[in-house]
Amino acid sequence: MLWGCASSTPTPPRPAARPFDNVKRIAVVVSGDSRFAVLEHRAQPGKTFDEVLGWAPFGSLLKPFAMLVHEGINWLVESDRSKTTGRHVEGLSPQAAVSIAFAETLAASQQFQEVQMPEREPVGEERRRLDAIVRLSVPTWGLVRVREGDPDLLSGFADVRAELVVRGTGAAVWERREDVTDPERLPLTAFKKDPEFTRHHMLDVLTRAGQRLANELVYARSAGR
Amino acid sequence: MSARRLALLVTLAAMLGGCAGASGLAVRYPEAGANRALLASVTSRRVEIRPVADARLDTTRIGTRPKDGTNIVTERPVADIVGEALAVEVAKNGHTVAVAPSEVVLATDVEEFWLDTVRGYGSTQYVGKVAFSVTVLDGRTGDRLATRRYVGIKRRQVDTASDDVAREVMDAALARSMRDLATDPAFVNAFAGVTTAAAPR
Repeated sequence: MLWGCASSTPTPPRPAARPFDNVKRIAVVVSGDSRFAVLEHRAQPGKTFDEVLGWAPFGSLLKPFAMLVHEGINWLVESDRSKTTGRHVEGLSPQAAVSIAFAETLAASQQFQEVQMPEREPVGEERRRLDAIVRLSVPTWGLVRVREGDPDLLSGFADVRAELVVRGTGAAVWERREDVTDPERLPLTAFKKDPEFTRHHMLDVLTRAGQRLANELVYARSAGR
Repeated sequence: MSARRLALLVTLAAMLGGCAGASGLAVRYPEAGANRALLASVTSRRVEIRPVADARLDTTRIGTRPKDGTNIVTERPVADIVGEALAVEVAKNGHTVAVAPSEVVLATDVEEFWLDTVRGYGSTQYVGKVAFSVTVLDGRTGDRLATRRYVGIKRRQVDTASDDVAREVMDAALARSMRDLATDPAFVNAFAGVTTAAAPR
């Protein structure tokens, strides 16, 4: 009982980030690969395996094998769905979509004198005039099951990362990982049947991801002041 | 019944009562996590935060535990949680939360405050969502300056489901919505656009 009560104590807040409000000129550079995925986090068939193994002699010895089979089957199913739905978003660059929304949001905040979006890592004079570089990546994006039901509901998602590195010293003064999920929830069939809708939905969530990251950067700028 | 046994029962009842009170999630927006942001760029205002309206379709719960189907509820009313978070954000950005007369009035409707739980095999995914709209009114004229909508969503996958994780997910969703508000140029412009005492009416 006591343990139950104690577990509801809120965790202490994280320490304030280091302020970087002297950073005025930045460049946004994209990096890394992106993978489109349909993540369903299914309980089946692993749950059924567990029920069967519960009755079988030496069932516990077979549990790791059941886990492997469960993961294998779901990997195949999700790969197939990723392939099918992924066709609808061919030609869409998640890094470009996120970085454009990120840079536009930063510019609209008027907290920076200059926000550049070079196609590659800036060099020479172009680099020297910058205060810092934001490196941005979108390791995974796609659709994720967000509500159990009949049918299950899915939303677009983008897992994004960014770090702000001071030019010259290379010191990272801000880092952020954001799991961004679209507010709208729909059955998988809605995405599979309508390529145009899927593209728009994914573009929306990528834009949202860029805006979220930018908001966090602006929010952290004066942290601790 | 002996006095000793009675005392033990009273103590147990008190402990159970304490736990029952804590069974709702203690969702909150911690002041220590709030920063001065874009909203602090406006001259300090006296801000009245009207009682937040709970405009959710289902106001009895914020989700359901998949294990036993019981309702997930918050320790305090959702409207109070959002109202308090707004007050923290506004105050942290250098404005004074006050009653009328004020320069800025905020009227807020909570549209969604929900936690989805998706059971996987050996894992649980939580998706917390907080959505609300804020109307910024000129405290002196009553004119509507802006209506903005904010949605904070947090998604997290864990091996072991628990109410602590559920609360953290809702805390994070609430914090994201507040940070979006504090960095929203349109919201900040509305703050800047109110009629102040020095301005002609």
